[in-house]
Amino acid sequence: MAEEQKKPKKRMTATKAAASIGPMVKEFIKGTVRAREEGTQKLAYTFIVCHHEEILRAMDVLPIWTENFAGICGVKRAAERYLQRAESLGFSRSLCTYALCGLGFDQWREELGEMPPDPPWGGQARPDFMISSGQILCDPRAKWYQAAQQFMPDVPIYNIDLPHPLFDPKRDHREVWGYYHKYIVDQLRGLVSFVEEQTGKKMDYDRLRELTDLSDRTWNLVHETYELRRAVPCPMGTGDAMNTMVPLCFMMATQEAYDFYTNLKQELEEKIANGEGEVDDEKYRLLWGGGLPAWYALTDFNYLNSKGASFPAETTYRMVVPVYEMDIPETDDPIEHIAWKWLGYWTHWYDKARKRPGSEPDVERLIEYIENYKIDGVVMHLAFSCRTWHVGLIWQLHQLAKIYKPIPVLLLGPRGGEEKAQRELPSLILESDIIDISSYSEVDTRNKIDAFIETLEAMQQNRGN
Amino acid sequence: MRNYFAGIDIGSTMTKAVILDDGIIASVIGPTGPEHRRLANQVMEEALQRADLPFNAITYIVATGYGRISVPFADRQVTEITCHARGIVSLFPNARTIIDIGGQDSKAITINAKGRPTNFVMNDKCAAGSGRFIEVIADSLGLRLEEMGDISLKSKSPAKISNICTIWAQQEVAARLAEGAPVPDLVAGIHESLADRVARMVKRLKVEKDVILTGGGGKNKGLIHALAKYLDCEILVPEEPLITGALGAALLGKDLVEKALEKNQPLETKERILEEVSIL
Repeated sequence: MAEEQKKPKKRMTATKAAASIGPMVKEFIKGTVRAREEGTQKLAYTFIVCHHEEILRAMDVLPIWTENFAGICGVKRAAERYLQRAESLGFSRSLCTYALCGLGFDQWREELGEMPPDPPWGGQARPDFMISSGQILCDPRAKWYQAAQQFMPDVPIYNIDLPHPLFDPKRDHREVWGYYHKYIVDQLRGLVSFVEEQTGKKMDYDRLRELTDLSDRTWNLVHETYELRRAVPCPMGTGDAMNTMVPLCFMMATQEAYDFYTNLKQELEEKIANGEGEVDDEKYRLLWGGGLPAWYALTDFNYLNSKGASFPAETTYRMVVPVYEMDIPETDDPIEHIAWKWLGYWTHWYDKARKRPGSEPDVERLIEYIENYKIDGVVMHLAFSCRTWHVGLIWQLHQLAKIYKPIPVLLLGPRGGEEKAQRELPSLILESDIIDISSYSEVDTRNKIDAFIETLEAMQQNRGN
Repeated sequence: MRNYFAGIDIGSTMTKAVILDDGIIASVIGPTGPEHRRLANQVMEEALQRADLPFNAITYIVATGYGRISVPFADRQVTEITCHARGIVSLFPNARTIIDIGGQDSKAITINAKGRPTNFVMNDKCAAGSGRFIEVIADSLGLRLEEMGDISLKSKSPAKISNICTIWAQQEVAARLAEGAPVPDLVAGIHESLADRVARMVKRLKVEKDVILTGGGGKNKGLIHALAKYLDCEILVPEEPLITGALGAALLGKDLVEKALEKNQPLETKERILEEVSIL
């Protein structure tokens, strides 16, 4: 069995809210293990960002977020033994390492009939059923649970298909999204029937409506809270946001999630009032422009912070275009509303992208954050095992380079006059994996970070000259 | 008193030192080996000897490269990205893209007219993107590294080496050799394979002319030829492509000193230790 990597250093957080997340997740995972032992609630393996939390919560189903358990194995540098087990079963290491970690863990647990030895935070409980969803985004999400059924043949799967119209620069997506909406509504109603069958309960649609409303309010609150990070200095960075994403992704449609962001918003407002930043002397404002993080190396954010770099914004786990800005039809039917919200989220940047020739929605999103958050540079992480998320990131940087050319341009100055300015946007591409630590070198990564910081420094000197 | 400046570049394979005043007065290149500190010391002493200067005559020393933190006598550490940029713009004022192919990594840097880096990419994950690739194949063909470039230029039909892993490529070359493939074609194929990988990395940036090649790769004519083909542009190479990082480091030291003098500011230096240190 593989020797696990040395215990990671704990990442320092800038906010109390981010520091509170570890115990919260630990309790959440232990709660699923307890529920399994006590038989109090039905448990479902599933994935985040499928817009189905309200349905699960309304039916008292406890979700087990399998990708996130793999992420926790990564953070705790405990994933290698599960990855190796999956490899020994014939799964290639080049597949999604979240899926490999989960499959390795499941096979081991099923073989033993109990949790494998020393599982992170009590381990991943056996589910009663599994809800997969490839969306358009991710094929492992569609295939993972089918593979897991080898070890759990008695556990049924429901696959929700959640498509959205693809971007076409010549066509308004609204021409076709009605068809998509009808299809998604059918898919979600199918999920309700499946969960009713599995739990033996009938859906309470009044409760579902309440939870959908709570979910919307939380969604909007997250947006308002994160927008506070426009402040200079930035009160909270991406390192912390990789923690504060937990209620947004794991706990939507719960009062606990709403309360968490209420407290976080208050904390950020206080920090802004006191002029407290994520770093003491903010020199550079960076955008985490894409990619899931290397979960075992979150201290790299602290390293960047130590160089005066703050991260006011990120595109990862930032599903917070407020519902009221989505330009979607209103409806009293919560299922129909969930479907519209899904479509509204995915198509939000389409109109902007159509107006800028050669652009794409993902690039518009980057541009919006770069401008709104006064960004000096972009950091991306290419995780080799997650092609779905990471294909296209380099292309996005190329598109950005066309817009932010390293040549002097004329900008409208603060007093109305035109002034010469350098509009350059350097980028740092980190390469490793989400949880496979064998792909990571701290020395090389930090060498790249040092070079990036020097590039930013040179850029600021250019502007000064 | 005359000011002298030293730059020392501890790369993964070679260690380089440059001493300059208004121009280069001494430069030394030696293999890095496992003991960065000992080698840094040796290379520095040799450079001082060549320059005919005592150690305390050096006004400012900048260390760069992977082993830059292992130079106890440096006043400042700067990454090789910034140093290469500074060194190259002093040799090629119109340089806009630098490609450095070293022993165990390769990198590309875009720079502005002032020689300041505007963006960069690095390949440090795989030997097949570095000079090590050619070194390993040279070994397995029983050839000297220095002759690989010339041999590759004799090929009329470069072999297609499909493996992108150094070890598997080594096996593939052995198999192709057994089939009777001419050695120049195999060597040219290996150069094309490396150039293809490096070009793909470089194209992540916006490649602008002039394009300069540095590092050990710059000593290999076959690689220069192949890279020009894959990037579809002329490649310029300094007379001594190995020392541009050390040269840039020395120049950055000079810039700092001149700036401090101009602004009448104190110069931040560190306590220097130039003595034999060994980890063994």
